Amino acid sequence: MKLSIIILSSDSVEMEKEIAQKTGSALGYDLLDRRLLSVVESRYEIPLDKLEWALEELASSRRQSVDLQRQALAYIQATTLEELLKDNLVCHGLGAHLYVLGVSHALRVRILAAPEELMEDMSTKKARDRVDRRRKLRQNWSLALYGLDETDPSQYDLVISLSQIDTEEAVKIITQTAGYRRFAPMTYSINCLRDAELASRVRARLWEQFPNVKVRAKGGTVVVETKGALRNKMKTAATIKEVVQPMEGVDYVEVHVMNKLFKKALPLSR
Amino acid sequence: MAIITISRGSYSKGKEVAEKVAKCLGYECVSREVLLDASDRFNIPEVRLVRAIHDAPTILERFGRKKQAFLAYIRYSLARRVQQDNVVYHGLAGHLLLSGIPHLLKVRIIASLEDRVKSEMQREGVSEHEARTLIIRDDQERRKWTQALSGLDPWDSALYDLVIHIRELTVDDAVNFICEAAQLAPFETTPEAKQKMDDLVAACELKAALVNEYPDVGVICKYGTVLIYTKSGERVQHKVRDRARKLAQKIDGIHHIEVHAGVTPPPSAV
Repeated sequence: MKLSIIILSSDSVEMEKEIAQKTGSALGYDLLDRRLLSVVESRYEIPLDKLEWALEELASSRRQSVDLQRQALAYIQATTLEELLKDNLVCHGLGAHLYVLGVSHALRVRILAAPEELMEDMSTKKARDRVDRRRKLRQNWSLALYGLDETDPSQYDLVISLSQIDTEEAVKIITQTAGYRRFAPMTYSINCLRDAELASRVRARLWEQFPNVKVRAKGGTVVVETKGALRNKMKTAATIKEVVQPMEGVDYVEVHVMNKLFKKALPLSR
Repeated sequence: MAIITISRGSYSKGKEVAEKVAKCLGYECVSREVLLDASDRFNIPEVRLVRAIHDAPTILERFGRKKQAFLAYIRYSLARRVQQDNVVYHGLAGHLLLSGIPHLLKVRIIASLEDRVKSEMQREGVSEHEARTLIIRDDQERRKWTQALSGLDPWDSALYDLVIHIRELTVDDAVNFICEAAQLAPFETTPEAKQKMDDLVAACELKAALVNEYPDVGVICKYGTVLIYTKSGERVQHKVRDRARKLAQKIDGIHHIEVHAGVTPPPSAV
């Protein structure tokens, strides 16, 4: 089964959608987009508007808002990664460019809309200010929630500006690149994606009871790190194992309970 | 028939990409030749021009005449070099020094810091720490230089038509992209594009001739009509006009000169 993945991100929602649709058509790939949020809504019982808000806005500094946003994004991430394992897909609008990392068969492309597309009919200064504000907002959003700057070109394999190159040509570049051998799925890269999906699924499952949990997975072994009092370490570990062990794809669970005051730095992924 | 500029950090394989693109398209590949031309034409030691274009200006230098003059000379030499099209330029700020040219394909090549460090260690025989320090410092100087020159961040991908990350994509992949993009319609030399190129050369030549005496002038040339902007008053305006008229007799493509005093040069002025 082929598992080619193309992940698109853009500074223009309309342009991103257009390029995704045309790329999907050209390659015969399905689209994975915000229609997936209805699956997330029914599975995790979070209202659709909250899921869309989580993908667009940055929560206020109120603790409750921040936690809710992170929770929503954890559910979106888990559901998206599950879908990405299934088939050839063009994915956009779900923030996948920020959490599908280290998967060599995922082609990550950023599209920059032509300035006149972004500025619409407004006066130049007003339009430019609006574009800058939106860009800053997205930068802050991605940094706050994923620790990555989504406007940084080094996050992508390719960045295409549509100021001179038109959409048809951009689609051609993307489809051509997707056909390169380096973006063909390999056992290792498929396993990387499976590990990421498993870790996300476990994290989503644990969120209600352990919202600050960090999870790694490799080949069925799941390592969970959570904060908590050391005196409850055994109980916490037992609770987590009870929840995680029966999950599909989990062979072994290891739990680390970190004291709240004395955090150890471990290179865990989200 | 495009003009291609390739921007890159040190050891990002940008030079290799540029040379292969030039070979693939049958174009001239230019970098240091621009500095040699400027050095020869304006009788400035090459090492001083290299410093002008490599080191970010200090606070004093930003207002200094020398750096401005050297930049004007380099810009003129670059414009002359690429005037006949079919050139690949890899060097600092080509996309900025040649801005406004419609058939200019602007490419940025990026590579991960770790890969660049390894390349530098291999090539220069230095330790990892030294290589990393040198590369980071070099990046910072280039960034500051570009920001001082244009107020723009060279890492902003909106400045380029294509940004290619050498990681999953190889040098040869990048070369393929660039060669194909160079043959797209927006990068063909139309009569209008040729006129704009000729206008830029004329404006750069005039600026280079005036910059020593009148460092604050900005020059625009459109279809042979030259507009010179200076912040100075009317007395200087007459001097500038007289000087410019004498110089224009030796410059091809200039039919008419106007001088606007007490006006800040627009961003598009040379």
